[in-house]
Amino acid sequence: MILAFALAAAVLFGSGAYLLLKRDLVRVVAGIMLISQCALVTIIGSGLTRGRAPIAVPAGQAVSDPLPQALALTALVIGLATVALLLALVHRVVMVFRTAERDDLAAGEAEHEAGLEAQRQADREEAS
Amino acid sequence: MILSVALLVPWATGAVLVALDGRRRAVGWLAVAVLAATFALLAVLTAQVLAGGSQEVVTGGWPPGVGIVLHADMLGVVFALLSVLVLLAATTHEVLAGIEERVFPGLVLLLAGGLTGLFLTGDVFNFYVFFELAMTASYVLTAYGGGRRQLRAAMVFTAVNLLGSFIFLLSVAGTYRVTGTLAMLDVGERMAVVDPNAALLIATGFFIAFSVKLGLFPFHFWLPTVYAGSSPAVAAILSGAVANIGAYGLLRFGPTMFPAQLRLVGAAIVVLGAVSLIYGAVLAVARGDVAESLAYSAIGQVGYVLVALGVGGPVGLTAAVVYSVVNALNKTLLFLAAGIRGPLVAGAFAVGALSVAGVPPAAGFVGKLEMFRAGIVVGSVPLIVLLTLGSGLSLVYMFQMYQRAFWRAPAPAGPASPLPLRLLTTAVALLVLAAGVWPEPLLAASGRAAEGLLPGAAG
Repeated sequence: MILAFALAAAVLFGSGAYLLLKRDLVRVVAGIMLISQCALVTIIGSGLTRGRAPIAVPAGQAVSDPLPQALALTALVIGLATVALLLALVHRVVMVFRTAERDDLAAGEAEHEAGLEAQRQADREEAS
Repeated sequence: MILSVALLVPWATGAVLVALDGRRRAVGWLAVAVLAATFALLAVLTAQVLAGGSQEVVTGGWPPGVGIVLHADMLGVVFALLSVLVLLAATTHEVLAGIEERVFPGLVLLLAGGLTGLFLTGDVFNFYVFFELAMTASYVLTAYGGGRRQLRAAMVFTAVNLLGSFIFLLSVAGTYRVTGTLAMLDVGERMAVVDPNAALLIATGFFIAFSVKLGLFPFHFWLPTVYAGSSPAVAAILSGAVANIGAYGLLRFGPTMFPAQLRLVGAAIVVLGAVSLIYGAVLAVARGDVAESLAYSAIGQVGYVLVALGVGGPVGLTAAVVYSVVNALNKTLLFLAAGIRGPLVAGAFAVGALSVAGVPPAAGFVGKLEMFRAGIVVGSVPLIVLLTLGSGLSLVYMFQMYQRAFWRAPAPAGPASPLPLRLLTTAVALLVLAAGVWPEPLLAASGRAAEGLLPGAAG
């Protein structure tokens, strides 16, 4: 069972990492989502015990470990919030830049570089 | 008691202030007042911890092991105090300059709540929860200003740091798997009997997660874009308060939870720190933009913290704490001063520059002194040469920046900034000077913090 969890986590992380390296920002978000799911699967897999649900258990009966479930729930909520935030950010980027491609975002940076180069040129002229 | 209140005050008011229009002056000043109150509470807490040792509170009256455990020791309160101070300076700066977006004050308070929480928790998973609270607030803050560069910075910052957070979460899962507990002190005890391979893997996961936050050399790629792209107050918050998460995490998790692994890879950590130090300094010399040079300087400066951590022992850990505090103050001062113009500002920037280079009487001197002491304790000549080289390079790039920003005629940025802004920056500069002239409180607190981290200490 743990092997199944480990395999699922590995596949999720691998696909997430692959998507993260894509140019399209929406795919990047999808990649981060998959990696967050990988973390959840790992948490559940990390505390895998057999037993009844830990609510009002008769004495002496084995219960399943409630902690990983609580952790997974918390992480799930946090993951949901962060992904929502990320999507909102991508939406804003698309509204401002009119594109969801990573390379087009860097165009602004090239402009800034050119400004810096002009400044350096001015420095050199001043020095000479 | 104070412990829970110090946590509750910024969090509750932050949740309320997010809903209000932060562009109104009153809301901005309310946020400043709440931060000041949090700072005062934390100062009282620090005094109590200094006098009576570390404190522990289990929230909600649950038995220990079930409820959320808050644990205030010297290291935690020092970092909490430092971060809230930086947030206070940056927020006051932004209120004086005029807040542009409505959520700014609320987000800063939530960030303060998250940071205070993660510095004062005794549980690995609660650390993650507070860490996400702080990070989520800072993701939104990075986009503050709403320009194209800010948006790009926010996108990069969010994507990279979310990945870092999930690596942290994976390591938390691993820790639970091998030790069956998430309380930091218990993890430290049980880690000794765990399979060494598993322990090393988990320690590496935590190390990567914190290095991403801190912007250490192989994980620094996101940092220049973000620091240079965000607005000055946000850059000060990111480098002075949010980056503390990484430094604190390395200091807390390394010696307490993974002492054996830390000893095993101590040399490798020193080398990584050294590479970070030289790389950051060389690129800071090479770059023209002030904000970008400061960003590379930040990469270089955290290298010192890592070197000190790798050296370890009481002297190394004390040096790491002192250097983290000094570095956070320096960066706050420099980012705030670089964004404004006029008389007094150049002087404040020069104090920051001298502090980064480690010239007395600025606080940076104390940090460098502790670093050299750590270098002498391990008796390593290359390390001392390296520290000297790093200091020399930082002197070069800081004054290159100073020259470019303040000596160029005609002044590039137009009229002088309002007087209150300049006075605030001067106050931060005076604080940096004061910490250098009278370093005993900082040194004593850092020494106590380092003692608490070493094995055999009561916590």
